[in-house]
Amino acid sequence: MQRSLRSWFMIALPLLLAVSLAVLAWVTRPQSRIPEGREEVVFWHFWGGTDRAVVEEIVDRFNNSQQHYHVRAVAMPGNNLDMKMFLAVTGGDPPDLINQDDPIVADWAHRGALMPLEEIATAEEIQQLEGWLFPAARELGSYEGRLYGLCNGLDIRALYYNRTVIEERTGRPAPQQLESIEQLDKLATECELREEDGKLTSPGYLPDPRRLWAWGVVFGGRFIDESGKVTCDDPEIVRALEWMNRYREKWGANTLAAFRQGDQSLPGKTFPLLSGRYAIVMDGQWRVRDIPADRSGEFGVWPLPHPAGTERQADGWVNGNLFLVPRGCRSPRGAWEFMKFWSGFGGHEAEAARACSLGGWIPPSQQVVDQPRFQQYLQENPLFARFVELADGRQVPTPVIPGARMYEREVNRAVARSLYTDNPDDAGSLLKAAQRKVQQQMDRVQGRKEGP
Amino acid sequence: MPDPSQRRSRRRIPAGWLFISPWLVGLLLLFVYPFFASLYWSFCRYDLLSSPEWIGTEHYQRIATEIWNGDGFGNALWNTLYYAALSVPLSIITAVLLAVMLSWRIRGQAIFRTLFFLPSIIPLVASSILWLWLLDPQSGLVNHVLGWFGVPSQLWFQGVQEAAHPGTFLEFGSKDALVLMSTWGVGNFMLIYLAALGDIPHQLYEAAALDGAGRGRRFWHVTLPMLSPLILFNLVLGLIKSFQAFTQVYLVSEGTGEPVGSTLLLSLHLFLAAFQDLEMGYTSAMAWLLFIVLFIATALLFRSSRHWVHYRTSLGG
Repeated sequence: MQRSLRSWFMIALPLLLAVSLAVLAWVTRPQSRIPEGREEVVFWHFWGGTDRAVVEEIVDRFNNSQQHYHVRAVAMPGNNLDMKMFLAVTGGDPPDLINQDDPIVADWAHRGALMPLEEIATAEEIQQLEGWLFPAARELGSYEGRLYGLCNGLDIRALYYNRTVIEERTGRPAPQQLESIEQLDKLATECELREEDGKLTSPGYLPDPRRLWAWGVVFGGRFIDESGKVTCDDPEIVRALEWMNRYREKWGANTLAAFRQGDQSLPGKTFPLLSGRYAIVMDGQWRVRDIPADRSGEFGVWPLPHPAGTERQADGWVNGNLFLVPRGCRSPRGAWEFMKFWSGFGGHEAEAARACSLGGWIPPSQQVVDQPRFQQYLQENPLFARFVELADGRQVPTPVIPGARMYEREVNRAVARSLYTDNPDDAGSLLKAAQRKVQQQMDRVQGRKEGP
Repeated sequence: MPDPSQRRSRRRIPAGWLFISPWLVGLLLLFVYPFFASLYWSFCRYDLLSSPEWIGTEHYQRIATEIWNGDGFGNALWNTLYYAALSVPLSIITAVLLAVMLSWRIRGQAIFRTLFFLPSIIPLVASSILWLWLLDPQSGLVNHVLGWFGVPSQLWFQGVQEAAHPGTFLEFGSKDALVLMSTWGVGNFMLIYLAALGDIPHQLYEAAALDGAGRGRRFWHVTLPMLSPLILFNLVLGLIKSFQAFTQVYLVSEGTGEPVGSTLLLSLHLFLAAFQDLEMGYTSAMAWLLFIVLFIATALLFRSSRHWVHYRTSLGG
């Protein structure tokens, strides 16, 4: 009797534990705050810090304006949102909408993981949208002629300069505009500081290996051709790298490496332009808010200069933040409504202008830029306004191709090898090797026969 | 007529299965299935989003080419071997020496033991950021201290170290910085050695002293042989750990393995291939090769251990 009781106990105990856990999970389940009769839209985004509060405000305003949908925002700051999304899609439980800035549109669209917007919106809306967006914003979300992503902010690069440092070191005011690459070089040389033994302590300007993407297009090169073939060995891009190499030839690879590639991107108050560590730094519009308001007069922004004696082919290289709808999500219509609300399309321009003013984001459409609220913001933030002026210009978008991230890695690695190693192969050979490798990968992904 | 005790044992079998069932389900679903599935995928073109497509040994041929060219997997393998070859012995030597010193009966012994153990419980993220500051080529404390001894300023994490250009003597680059960083977490190993040191019979030291052995010889001929089973244990564990090193490399290179792929260890290369390039087939092939390399290395270590590991036998009376 005692033994039988013990056997029962041994079976009952795990069962009891399992039941208790199930009850506990039920009792402590997250309480849904979705108003009755509304459809939930799960939205994953990468925004953190002060931006997160802006995102939450946009979500609240959308939810308050709605009768049909309710957005639940899930913040995933960091740089692995795409991996989490990828796993969620694979696992069959994707969010309804994501917003992120990595070049993944083509990779996922090619594999059928994204819904083209034409499956969610009407044909008329898509037609209007294509005319509404800045050309670069449209291209960033398009793959093989179909629109997969809706851009809600462009990231544009230009040259920030420290007016005070330039005046102190050159003895004359900083120019209003840089006319050419040669003028940049001259100014950089005039602004550099060295110790007695010749050691560089404060560069005027140093090229960052991750910026060939911008310099390459300003020199007139293109990273893909019209057929979608990888062309990072374009003679003009090679010329841009050769120009960057002149800084290595001048200072040596070790000096350049010591001013590491991430140095110019240090965040917040550590932004080296503020301390005068550099006189000129290339960066995006998001840097404007790192400059304290009471010191904003000390700094300026120049569009990227191009080589003297050549025709200007492009103003710069652009990427951006995109809304993407994973295939298999539950509420694509709700996702569409929310992305329109945020980006400003479909009569929401005033809302988008508000959001862009709060976040310091470059709108994806001139119609948002023209809103009174945004115009007022531009008047109050002249440095930021310089970036917005460039948005409608000849900005070359980052290539939307499968394997774009590998392309980015390989080009950056080739440039770093060129800048940070002594006696590297010539610029052309390094970029040709990167081109071959990336094209092979693209061919593999697209199932094409590899070329010679 | 079956034995009543056998009957009783048989009756308890279902309960036994029930008790281990959560573990068993976990083992089958999370280990056994992925283990064999990855072997199959290593012969397929597969991105998780579409069905695997059988392509035979293409991935293995690609890996062989990459090893030959020193690119991709070849570069990551070279980086990992360099890291393992330096970090594992250095960690063991540091841990043994620290344990020996901390076994000396000196004032504040407990405090020293705590202090030397503390770094190993600091999260890897925090310690990686700390090392980035310490080894900053421009303003890092380490370069500053080296400067007092006339050692030129080092590039550390910014220094390119490739197989073709490994750097010269007294020129430390990114992989050396990772090796240096690995010594930071030797506290666990140190603790194991410390416990083992207290277990070495005192008679052995007395006998060695009577035979005229000094401190050094006692360490060499008594301490080290008595610690050798644990050194083997830590060697195997350290080797596996170094082949799987990921977090620190991901953090210091911002997930890129830069500069110029110098810090691209195998685990990071696998991660990028799997989750950025969506090449699960190629990644599976690399993971299997990594498994085979580790298996062979561990087997060789065990085989060699008969020549240098001394297992304790009873001292007798």
